[in-house]
Amino acid sequence: MTVAVNLPEPTGSTPPHQPPRGADTVVPEPHGPASSLRVLSRGAATIWSNKKARIGVVLLLAFVALAIFAPLIAPYGASENGFGRNEAPSGSHWFGTTAAGEDVFSQIVFGARISVLVGFIAGFLSTLIAVVVGLSWGYIRGPIADVINFVVNLVLVIPGLPLMIVIAAYLQNGGMTMIIFVVVLTGWAYGARVLRSQTQSIRGRDFITAAQFAGDGAARIVFHEILPNMTSLITGSFFGAATSAILAESGLSFLGIGDTTTVSWGSMLFWASNSNALLTGQWVLLFAPGLCIALLATSLTLINFGVDGLSNPRLREGSGR
Amino acid sequence: MSLLEVNGLSVVYEPRGAEPTYAVRKASFSLERGEFVGLVGESGSGKSTLGFAVTRLAKAPARISEGTILFDGRDIASMEEEELRKQRRGGFAMVLQSGMNALNPVRSIRKHFGDIFAAHGHVPKTKRLARAYDLLEKVELPRTVLDRFPGELSGGMRQRVSIALALSLEPQLMVFDEPTTALDVLVQHAVMGTIRDLQKSENFTALLISHDLGIVLESTSRVMVMSEGVIVEDGTSQQILQAPQHQYTQMLLGHYADPRAEVVQVPGLVVRGSTISTTGHSSVVAAVSPERGETATGTPSAPARRRAGRPEASAIVVDGVTKVYPRPRRGQDAVTAVDGVSFTLEQGQSMALVGASGSGKSTLAKLVTGIERPTSGTIHFGEARVDTLRRKGLRGLRREVQMVFQDPYSALNPLHTVEYALMRPVLNYTGLHGGAARTRVLELLETVGLTPVEQFAAKLPHELSGGQRQRVVIARALACDPQVIIADEPVSMLDVSLRAGVLALLDDLRVTFGVSMLYITHDLLSARLVTDQIMVLNQGRVVESGLTAQVLRFPEDPYTMELLDAIPQPHRAGARR
Repeated sequence: MTVAVNLPEPTGSTPPHQPPRGADTVVPEPHGPASSLRVLSRGAATIWSNKKARIGVVLLLAFVALAIFAPLIAPYGASENGFGRNEAPSGSHWFGTTAAGEDVFSQIVFGARISVLVGFIAGFLSTLIAVVVGLSWGYIRGPIADVINFVVNLVLVIPGLPLMIVIAAYLQNGGMTMIIFVVVLTGWAYGARVLRSQTQSIRGRDFITAAQFAGDGAARIVFHEILPNMTSLITGSFFGAATSAILAESGLSFLGIGDTTTVSWGSMLFWASNSNALLTGQWVLLFAPGLCIALLATSLTLINFGVDGLSNPRLREGSGR
Repeated sequence: MSLLEVNGLSVVYEPRGAEPTYAVRKASFSLERGEFVGLVGESGSGKSTLGFAVTRLAKAPARISEGTILFDGRDIASMEEEELRKQRRGGFAMVLQSGMNALNPVRSIRKHFGDIFAAHGHVPKTKRLARAYDLLEKVELPRTVLDRFPGELSGGMRQRVSIALALSLEPQLMVFDEPTTALDVLVQHAVMGTIRDLQKSENFTALLISHDLGIVLESTSRVMVMSEGVIVEDGTSQQILQAPQHQYTQMLLGHYADPRAEVVQVPGLVVRGSTISTTGHSSVVAAVSPERGETATGTPSAPARRRAGRPEASAIVVDGVTKVYPRPRRGQDAVTAVDGVSFTLEQGQSMALVGASGSGKSTLAKLVTGIERPTSGTIHFGEARVDTLRRKGLRGLRREVQMVFQDPYSALNPLHTVEYALMRPVLNYTGLHGGAARTRVLELLETVGLTPVEQFAAKLPHELSGGQRQRVVIARALACDPQVIIADEPVSMLDVSLRAGVLALLDDLRVTFGVSMLYITHDLLSARLVTDQIMVLNQGRVVESGLTAQVLRFPEDPYTMELLDAIPQPHRAGARR
């Protein structure tokens, strides 16, 4: 059967012209990747146009650079401990040395690796779970939704930090993987709830009904029709999750849970408070990692101001009241 | 001296990081005291922007770039905020399209009145209640409304409350921005009546902004027509009606017709049902142009061939269907949306389902398409029982029964190209892949007149106009060669000038492809234009049914007559004056 047969008869209102079209017609490629790239760059431009977000991006990039190029930036190794103990800041040791005789500045630089890594991996994983759970939960109706509701509420009402401590204590000597696991396990529920409510509002739109009429299945509708409409919310939820993951990791390490021999900002705080750094006058030992944690978390929060503008043009800076 | 004198007014939108656009260009007009003037234009013509500008309610990014607005001799274009606020009493007030949503849902109506009286301090405390009663009476609302909350009032009542609130400041100028567009046909008719009476009794100057020339001509003595930011015509209603000068005005007027007339004609649409006969089909044949008759009876048409191997054409039989929704809140009664409705939609037939909002017509559509299940009664489509179908059966049903949605702005996913939207049903139902599927998509675009097809295929919905979007929606419904199309108010969101085109397309396709259509609408004129059979629904019950031309020309049920009377009629308005 040739293609031309399928053409409808010309009708009154449509002009009766049929361009010659045979089986050998060249079919151009659909414009998929190009347009999604354009959307991405437009989104990046929107974030960049927000002053707060710009500061956040610069800060974050600085930390990421610090993490990547740590061996080049740090003057010594992270656990190189041949130096004098509890030395005050000096030309050779900018931030002084620890009770174990390690260079504090080098530890800060190497500690960025853990925080950035945990932040992004745990943030990504808990967002992933939040997206899968939240979207399906928002789309389906009936008893399964009630079951999910129960589980999410359960995770939400249990206080996070104690739960993390219990789980972490249970899974001893797991190191970084264990911390990521614990952070993800306790961090996905909030995002899932937010994404679910947005999904419910989108599923009421006509184009979802239209997709059902077009014969699309539930999974296709959720991930091809609904998901793209929530990119900004998901991005925001990712930065939120990453922030709380960074804070949780520092908290857990500070409490001495996990591997205390790994050099991270949290474990630096742990050792600093163990060696009574404040009493010995070495405030930098507490101050430097604390400030870094705060700055990294702040940078992500600042970026989220720009992400808000993605979905709501009114939140873009300078666009009127 | 005129009450309002606008000279060379331009309003520009200056969004950040985008080109500024002029919404209003050098508009000049004046309103005399006690005059009722209409401002007509299609969406995007700048009529609302102009209305907002003359009441100084325009907000960033809109900005008055030049010109003066002399209100009672004072230029308000350059007035300060506080002075402006005082000016709003005894000055100018505005009633908005969404005015009914402008009420604060957690404050009673009494408090709304209290707020306004307190803000301007023009009514002594002891007289406030009497004044509020007085105002409610003017807009024909009972006194008990004062203690109700906005959520407890209907849309029409809320719009009346917001008119009363605007009136409470004794304005000399009232600007009504589409005051009835969001309301139901019958309510719209009543509210417009109130506005007309008020204007006469209170003698304020009124500016009525609307897209509906019919409504405006019925009420006003002078009409300004706006197109692309420019006032293209300004004349008395009689002049506009009898001798419209600008072609844009002529075009707008051309799209009005009386559905009760013997012959109904609208530019771009075939006259149909002009003769009344006892059987449905002879009137259809008479209405169809000769060439098309040949197409239908001559060589088998393309779709017939494509349907090989699929179930025979079958009718939708609805038998005694009732749908009861559980009571929405404690203390309220359960809602019977559809009550014992029976009808048969034969293959190739086109039937209108009309009624005011809340008459159950959309619920009926949901029942027929299997989105909802009836409380009692049966719906058959061929062999299948629609009311008991499970997921797989529904998929089969949707191959044959497709839907055209009311709002083209929400029926297309804003992030997917036209090609993607059309590709889905083709891939899911027709078994075509790759190049063949794409060819089919382009062919569909050609069918609905979106050429050049390659360009349209790559577009995103926001790059299309409302009419073009609705064509895409129609193309998507046709993608799998359905037997039945349910069209739920397919043109109600479109501008008048686009309606005829979309209706003509629907009608053409229906005849060419031999598809039957259930056309749901509150607009009797369009029902007359594209359907042969009609069913009038009132509160879930069928009150009248039969041949469209017969029912609309000689209605028997009072409800049908009420619906017919509610249609704005410029020509009738002219005759009455």
